[in-house]
Amino acid sequence: MTVFAVAVFGIAYALIASEKVHRVKVALGGAGLMLAAGVLDFEQAFHERETGVDWEVIFLLLGMMIIVGVLSKTGIFEYVAITAVKKAGGRPFRVMVLLVLITAVASAALDNVTTVLLIAPVTLLVCDRIGVRPVPFLLAEVFASNIGGTATLIGDPPNIIIAGRGELTFNDFLVHVTPIVVLLLGALLLLCRVMFRKQFAYDPRRATEVMELDEREAISDRRLLIKSGLVLLAVLIGFVVSATTGTAPATVALLGAGLLVLISGLPPRDYLADVEAPTLLFFMGLFVMVGALIQVGVIDRLAELATEATGGSVQTATFTLLGVSAVLSAVVDNIPYVATMAPLVDSLSATTGNPDNVLWWALTLGADLGGNATIIGASANVVMLGVAERNGHRITFWEFARYGAVVTAVTVLLCVPYLYLRYFAFA
Amino acid sequence: MIARDLAVPFPSIGMDDDALDAVRLMAEERLPGIVVCEPSGRPTRILPGSQVLRFVIPRYVQDDAALARVIGERAAERLLGELSGRRVRDLLPDPPDVELAVADPDDTVLELAAMMARTHSPLVAVVENDLLLGCITLPRLLDVLLPARPG
Repeated sequence: MTVFAVAVFGIAYALIASEKVHRVKVALGGAGLMLAAGVLDFEQAFHERETGVDWEVIFLLLGMMIIVGVLSKTGIFEYVAITAVKKAGGRPFRVMVLLVLITAVASAALDNVTTVLLIAPVTLLVCDRIGVRPVPFLLAEVFASNIGGTATLIGDPPNIIIAGRGELTFNDFLVHVTPIVVLLLGALLLLCRVMFRKQFAYDPRRATEVMELDEREAISDRRLLIKSGLVLLAVLIGFVVSATTGTAPATVALLGAGLLVLISGLPPRDYLADVEAPTLLFFMGLFVMVGALIQVGVIDRLAELATEATGGSVQTATFTLLGVSAVLSAVVDNIPYVATMAPLVDSLSATTGNPDNVLWWALTLGADLGGNATIIGASANVVMLGVAERNGHRITFWEFARYGAVVTAVTVLLCVPYLYLRYFAFA
Repeated sequence: MIARDLAVPFPSIGMDDDALDAVRLMAEERLPGIVVCEPSGRPTRILPGSQVLRFVIPRYVQDDAALARVIGERAAERLLGELSGRRVRDLLPDPPDVELAVADPDDTVLELAAMMARTHSPLVAVVENDLLLGCITLPRLLDVLLPARPG
């Protein structure tokens, strides 16, 4: 049974990585095989926390997709971005700084792919107006999206998986990950200034074209904006207080989504438009496949090997996890990577210890930041690449990697002193 | 009625003609599109007016309707300036995304309607011996399909 489970998982993982077969087909097919062969029974696959589908992750994603889908239709994102660009006076580097910051903050609250889809069209418009090449701006934004998404529990799907497995709260992420993300954003801006230094030619005549844009026209429905803005705010507050109230983040998100559906008056076609059913199905299949590995004892065995390899030292385990996660997340999708690693880290922490959840933070930082290294490292990268290409700006694999590898290396290296000083030297 | 009866003479242009001239022709003659012919006179593509709009309106504005509202009238006036120096072939998707809406002179009304529906083309070129006989527009076809008003 063990050999069968490992073989199914290995083949499925290879197919997902190769992108030869759609990942939903692979995940559901793999899960079906595990169930058909009896590696997991119905109870274990769907009802047990240890080996089954993590429904909290699924419903948290579903709730946020509905809220973000409604909010994105109001035009608020375009309004904020154009206001910021006008404040920057159309000066290219200032424009980039503000767009990067907006992207990072939005990515911390919204899904990265959604953020990228919202910011890219505005960026193309602004770059058209000020007469600069949009590719450096789009690259800077996608890097900011992956870094900003690292900051919170809801910012990036791997964080939701990690939070579920590690029983971490929204506030845990705010306290332990957000501070380093703020620092990393500063580093990203410095890197952008250096890497794209030849792309910031300022033309005062073109800059006036930006000032002619009327951002107020972007808002399509003021009442819906107020309603959805208030619901999002309430949900974010709900996440912050969820640790003290004991309410699961998924419950908060679903309540928010339900309330918004009720008060928005939108038809199902509109409020469900941004619900990515393939993503949710992919997660379900993945959870069942990883659950099968847990059931046959493979994850525990790998954790034992990892403990031996690190000599049982939590410090060695932390930095190995950070580095290995960054490298692997650069070449494979970080969602299946984290779904596989989370139970392993759970087992590992039982033997090495896990002061202040440092192993979870190492996994979060490595997996999320590693996604910046290559185009295939994160879904947001692929989406941004597609938007750029549709608009006549082709970004090659190597052009992305040339900048992405630098950003990943610098940001991951900055995490080393952060983790060391905070969790080991001054713990 | 068959295609030969419905077809009316229609102007055509070449692949390497000036794009702005083609658009001007469409505007002046109130044409929903225009037939693009090879130098031999054989119709090769149909350039619908909507394809011209797809070309001149930036893709990011097509993707995000809110941006169309913020840009303002002055920029809209400059849109067709994008066509300056372009040829007709630059406007057409390569490879063609739909089959060429070409009918034989003896095609029936239903065949013509099915072709328009399938190709999303506002006009069908009627071709005989590799030469353009004329075109059938959507309003002309609907006119034939509509039952006569009682009384």
